[in-house]
Amino acid sequence: MSVGILSLIVLALAVVGFFVGRSRALKSVQGDSRRLHSLPGYYGQTVFLFTAVPAFALMALWLIVQPMVIDGRIVGQLGPQIAEDATASKLAMEDVARIASGLDALQARTGMTNDELRDLSADGSDIRGRLAEVGIALGSEVDPLIFEMAKSFRIMQANGAMIMSVLVLVLAVAGFVLALRRIHGEFRARNVSETFVRWLLIASAGVAILTTVGIVMSLLSETIRFFGIYPISEFFFNLTWNPQFRGGSDLGLIPLLWGTLYISFVAMVVAVPIGIFAAIYTAEYAPPKVRSVVKPVIELIAGIPTVVFGLFALVTVGPFLRDYIAMPLGLGNSGSSVMTAGLVIGVLNIPFISSLTDDIINAVPQSMRDGSYGLGATKSETIRKVVLPAALPGIVGAILLAASRAIGETMIVTMGAGAAAKLGLNPFEAMTTITVKIVSQLTGDLAFDSPETLVAFALGMTLFVITLCLNIFALWIVRKYREQYE
Amino acid sequence: MNDMRIVERDVDITENKITARGVQVYYGTNHALKDVDVDILDKTVTAFIGPSGCGKSTFLRCLNRMNDTVASARVEGEILLEGENIYDPKVDPVQLRAKVGMVFQKPNPFPKSIYDNVAYGPKIHGLTRNKAELDEIVEKSLRRAAIWNEVKDRLDASGTGLSGGQQQRLCIARAVATNPEVLLMDEPCSALDPIATAQVEELIDELRSQYSVVIVTHSMQQAARVSQKTAFFHLGHLVEYGETGQIFTNPQDPRTESYITGRIG
Repeated sequence: MSVGILSLIVLALAVVGFFVGRSRALKSVQGDSRRLHSLPGYYGQTVFLFTAVPAFALMALWLIVQPMVIDGRIVGQLGPQIAEDATASKLAMEDVARIASGLDALQARTGMTNDELRDLSADGSDIRGRLAEVGIALGSEVDPLIFEMAKSFRIMQANGAMIMSVLVLVLAVAGFVLALRRIHGEFRARNVSETFVRWLLIASAGVAILTTVGIVMSLLSETIRFFGIYPISEFFFNLTWNPQFRGGSDLGLIPLLWGTLYISFVAMVVAVPIGIFAAIYTAEYAPPKVRSVVKPVIELIAGIPTVVFGLFALVTVGPFLRDYIAMPLGLGNSGSSVMTAGLVIGVLNIPFISSLTDDIINAVPQSMRDGSYGLGATKSETIRKVVLPAALPGIVGAILLAASRAIGETMIVTMGAGAAAKLGLNPFEAMTTITVKIVSQLTGDLAFDSPETLVAFALGMTLFVITLCLNIFALWIVRKYREQYE
Repeated sequence: MNDMRIVERDVDITENKITARGVQVYYGTNHALKDVDVDILDKTVTAFIGPSGCGKSTFLRCLNRMNDTVASARVEGEILLEGENIYDPKVDPVQLRAKVGMVFQKPNPFPKSIYDNVAYGPKIHGLTRNKAELDEIVEKSLRRAAIWNEVKDRLDASGTGLSGGQQQRLCIARAVATNPEVLLMDEPCSALDPIATAQVEELIDELRSQYSVVIVTHSMQQAARVSQKTAFFHLGHLVEYGETGQIFTNPQDPRTESYITGRIG
């Protein structure tokens, strides 16, 4: 039974449960809904939730765990010398999976029975040819061992799916019956479904957190592998970035970190004043009609994909800066430069800063402004001396969040700043950032055991730590000063 | 209404501080204040009483042109401060507000230190030439607002960390610091507990020796306790204006009588 059909069945059962539960509750009080503890709908809701949620949770869990278990058992069949070699076992597993899906296609196309398939062997028949007919191209002749493994892989998959279907259905029915049996007039269905919903929400929040933890763990394990084959001090203190795919590369973080910080600095120099001034205008000066137009238009910038910004940097800003500023001043003749990327990232960040700042300024109580006006302060004095200081913690938080976005920006830098890892002060020279190098180290042929590839994870980890610190700092500042004027 | 015998009432001063004639206020199409004539005396506490929405706060906010900050508000008629029409185009509302200080319903100290709260007005108006003079003004204002002894050791602490009553007295000190001639108070005690209220009321009585104080209040007892003159507003009209004792014991208008005996409001 496929996952889709199974889901539909469970869902249908849950919907039926809703109506049965509702009518059962009504029947228990002879149709007089005033005598029920909760509204009739809540009784139906409890049945719905108890039928659907545990069943779907089991299904999700099973779908995650089953491949892990099966892979583990298949790898066990490979024999020790292959199973211990990570690369070889990975390749073998890929073959197994491909042949298994080929057999699925073969069965669907030719209508072979399961018994016929079981009797199939790699030696006798031209498996490679037959699989090619159904669209599965194999690189070499099929190894009998791999073929047998593919067959048992298929069987395990089928068995797993079968067991899952049965268990999910049993769980759904059990939930259905249990929830239904609890229903009587005094049953506090409203409280029960409230509690249930709360746990559902907690679980959703948990998924987000677990994902973050998972990302960090996977980054961390690869980073540790990288530092196992490349000296940690070289990574942090070497001033050269020069990866060689033949080995013997210099993988120093500093030129990339410098480029990242330099470009982000330029971006913030552009974005912070413009963003804050725009916010002051929309929040304090603009009449409501103007504000209702200007604010969404500024925020529209935030919706433009960064690739489009990158194009803008590549074909407009870059050449403009080169032809009218860098070349006349003798500062270089590169179209891609720190300035180009910085300016464009700055523009990208303007709506981010202005929108947050505008909200923060609006949150400053009107009584503050009244107090200042009442003492004879002008509008700009009030804004400078009362509103902005009161809003400052929030504004600093907004700036730091924008900074961590600027640091993590990839597309605009790729197209605007170039790919040359350099340590320099000239803002009209091409430089590059951590993010760009992560991408370039992970494109092309990959061998996940060379430092040139694994360095991407160490770079990612560095970036993650930097932006995490910035975000934590921003949140801390915002929280520390938030309720000062309450 | 025995309270009113407590305060000694010396309304022998007859010098007008503020003279309002034919004041009309509109909020958009809503005619909030209709044809108000009032003479507010110098060195006197004048109370505005009346039910909610009667226009007493609106009138108060006309006296220092705070209504200018409300986009839809329109004021007609004339209000003279010592003979000068404050709605004359030549008058700078910003300068006017330094002369006519205001204290608000909810204590609204700035999120700055106590010192900076009081020094705010003198600084923006350039009233001092050096730090020593500023220190002096701050101390004098805090003393006048009867809060100096409580805060003198922590002038650098945030003004928002004080208790409600202290915050309100700090706001009064802040208003006093610009050396105003008139002090407007918009329900200054409505967010305070009885003890803080008593402190602020006592303070208002002391301030009378130097300023003309106008107070809007919902509490008739408070009006009776602190004021020498009382004006009763109802539905945008100034119904009755006279000496506090007379308003509370012998009102001339039946509407005033109904209000102070609790039948409308």
